[in-house]
Amino acid sequence: MSDAFRNRLMFAAALVLAAIYLFPLYWMYITALKTGSAMFATPPKFLPSEPQWGIYEFVWQSRNMGRYLWNSLVIASGAVSLIAVLGVGCAYVLARYRNVWVDVGLFLILMLQVLPASLMVTPIFVGFSQFGLLDTPRLAVTLAIAAKSMPFFVVLVRATFMSVPMELEEAALVDGNSRIGAFFNIVLPLARNGILVSAILIFMQAFGEFVYSKSMIQAVELQPASVGLNSFMGPNTNEWNNIMAYATIYVTPVLAVFVLLQRRIVSGLTSGALK
Amino acid sequence: MKRILSSVTDGKGFDIGLVLLPLAFLFIMSGLPLVYNVVMSLQEVDMFSLGSFSRPFVGLKNYVDLFSQPETRPILLNTALFVSASIAGQFVIGFGLALFFWMNFPGASWLRGLFLVSWVMPGLVVGAIWNWILSGDFGVLNFLLREMGVTDGNIFWRSDPNYSLWAVIIANIWLGTSFNMILLSVGLSGIPKDLFEAAELDGANAFQRFWTITLPMMRSTIGAIIALGLIFTLQQFDLFAAITSGGPNNASNVTQYWAWDLSFRQYDFAKGATISVIMIVFVMLASVVYVRSTRHEVRG
Repeated sequence: MSDAFRNRLMFAAALVLAAIYLFPLYWMYITALKTGSAMFATPPKFLPSEPQWGIYEFVWQSRNMGRYLWNSLVIASGAVSLIAVLGVGCAYVLARYRNVWVDVGLFLILMLQVLPASLMVTPIFVGFSQFGLLDTPRLAVTLAIAAKSMPFFVVLVRATFMSVPMELEEAALVDGNSRIGAFFNIVLPLARNGILVSAILIFMQAFGEFVYSKSMIQAVELQPASVGLNSFMGPNTNEWNNIMAYATIYVTPVLAVFVLLQRRIVSGLTSGALK
Repeated sequence: MKRILSSVTDGKGFDIGLVLLPLAFLFIMSGLPLVYNVVMSLQEVDMFSLGSFSRPFVGLKNYVDLFSQPETRPILLNTALFVSASIAGQFVIGFGLALFFWMNFPGASWLRGLFLVSWVMPGLVVGAIWNWILSGDFGVLNFLLREMGVTDGNIFWRSDPNYSLWAVIIANIWLGTSFNMILLSVGLSGIPKDLFEAAELDGANAFQRFWTITLPMMRSTIGAIIALGLIFTLQQFDLFAAITSGGPNNASNVTQYWAWDLSFRQYDFAKGATISVIMIVFVMLASVVYVRSTRHEVRG
């Protein structure tokens, strides 16, 4: 068996595995295009016979998706900006030094990373309501998400800073740069890609966040797309093509970004989680 | 004054400032809620006392009440089943896939990365898709199972109390497999290739090589992944909200969903806080295992 043949065979097998694994995604796209009766046909059709392209516009209009997605965007961008501003410096210091205090800080951050949102939401909700933060629910959710995701961001970005040679920064200091100057002119540009990828990863998580939004945002006009999808799915719904169209519109931008940046995201993720 | 200012722009003060600001934020947003959680679990909290700071302390009454409730035991058992079945499924399938993609061929790393889409999708969307796939009369999974001759009739995944927890477990395994696989792949690529060559020369077959080289070399990775799996499955909430809502009659309820349900559906914030405290202790223990198994990385 020649090498080329073996490679092609392996690739084909891998494609089959990927197709099986990604079938739920395919099923979402296909169901969205089916008519009401084709959706409930037995046996189910695995290829759409008469694709209903109009469904996207219909769902977008009838579910007011623009507003939901805008709220998701506001919350996610707010959380990512806050995390980036606070987290980058923290990650930098934790990467630059090695002593007991850094170990303690890292340990604390790793511990905070694991707290489940659905368990933390009870005290956060009660505390926020006592301080009146729930009057601005999107801000409240943004703060909660920032606190939840920042530890993960710090861990990822710290791994990036570890790969920036310290000598470069020291050289800049010898040349008369201040610490701030060296940080902004030398270290940050060198770590830019890693920070961007981590920020995108955090953004994706925040874009799909559900627990905090569901618990803290009562006003429909301020709810993000995840809560919108949840209220779309009643217990006995049969609008599955519309729901899948909603899911398609919601998830496709995320998937597009992921496929484009796949290599960077995967390597950034693995270097942060363990190595 | 001037010295402090110059220290902030050009010395130790710069580092300290960079660290203290985010740590203060995390302390206010995560540390204080943690403490507050414990305090609330020792108090009587209802809709009327929710807004006030002085609530009557009741000692361990909430804990005692909680464990005398009839649904507590089944829900704890559900949680144990959910966690162990999810981790086992994710790990076994993930390891299988990682071993497959380890056999290098062109396009392997790109295809492998594609699996991770399940991990970046919003949990609610994953839940919605699986809710439809697992639907009783018209679900595609029931169709495939019938065609393959595994089952005779339709399984009502979401409404049959015998299957509803498994519905969420299946979805959660799908969600977490890719992440397991990616991390296991990283571990596999760290094993020196010449170990396998030496073993092969000595006449060890594929199974022996796996058992005596791959598994022992992967020990710390596997420990970290199991601990991470425990942490992630205890965080899983969206799938419950999207597929079964804990029903029917708590058949698929687990602690992390129950805590939220008590607080935000039944407005029993004290009980919700009580369960949260118990579960957070569990998660903390798991994360200590995780941190220990990655300590060599943490220390650099």
